[in-house]
Amino acid sequence: MPDETWYGDDGEPGGRLVPLYMLVNGRTSPRNTSLNLATQVTALPVDTSALEPEYREILSCCGGWISVAELAAYLNTQLTVMKLLVDVLLERGFLALGDPAERTVADYRLLETILDRLQRL
Amino acid sequence: MNRKSVKVVVAGGFGTGKTTLVGSVSEIAPLTTEEVLTAPSEGIDDLTGIEDKTKTTVALDFGRITVNADIVLYLFGTPGQDRFWFIWDELAVGAIGAIVLVDTRRLDASFPAIDYFERRGIPFVAAVNMFFGECPYTEGEIRDALKLNPTVPLVWCDARDRQSSKQALISLVKHAMSRLPAGTSA
Repeated sequence: MPDETWYGDDGEPGGRLVPLYMLVNGRTSPRNTSLNLATQVTALPVDTSALEPEYREILSCCGGWISVAELAAYLNTQLTVMKLLVDVLLERGFLALGDPAERTVADYRLLETILDRLQRL
Repeated sequence: MNRKSVKVVVAGGFGTGKTTLVGSVSEIAPLTTEEVLTAPSEGIDDLTGIEDKTKTTVALDFGRITVNADIVLYLFGTPGQDRFWFIWDELAVGAIGAIVLVDTRRLDASFPAIDYFERRGIPFVAAVNMFFGECPYTEGEIRDALKLNPTVPLVWCDARDRQSSKQALISLVKHAMSRLPAGTSA
């Protein structure tokens, strides 16, 4: 086998061994349509040793609750791509999902709780 | 599992202090995430005869305030490339509302944001950023120039100052509450 490294075609520094479209199995949009950039996820206590390193890297950040946007920022991955990776992890049972975002926030008590917190900032 | 996230959108024209405001109240240093948008190149990159789409990378800055164990609030500054930020309808989903930062030297830069939130019935407050020094206009003059609905709060703030940014946030949450019947729970 020739000693060559294929850096993929996504132009990322350092390259990827596995192209992203393979990691997400060709998925182009999340199946869980409630996934939003602020949606909260957290790792479930399951064995991750068979997972690709990209997925394990994500799960290593999900010890507590974290948003899709934070994962994208910390792991330097575009938001759309992170959403797809999270979508796959949700489907495969590695992540749990927080409450889906409502179209508008119409919960008076929720707003009261937030107001109280802001006043103590 | 009932961890919930809510958002506040911080909008306004380029250079009005959005990231500064996010940073002054966030419990973490503002984070940046990038997104590639594909949008028709209308007029701006006019290449006559070529039906093309432009790919633009937009950066989104955001911060976080943990409310309690179940609720976390994210503050999202709209992207720097102002002509693309409205594509981010996703930002408005699950948002309490928006703070529209206003720079009195360039009032028109805030028009698109005001128009966007007004059309969608999303609560917002106009926050005049005093970052640039004394404001030579009265509240009435600014309201007139921005054609602000009388029910929309207008606040003065210094986006660099935590207490001042906090007041703008409080004013937004109170405004959002005033539009709901008291005591309702979703």
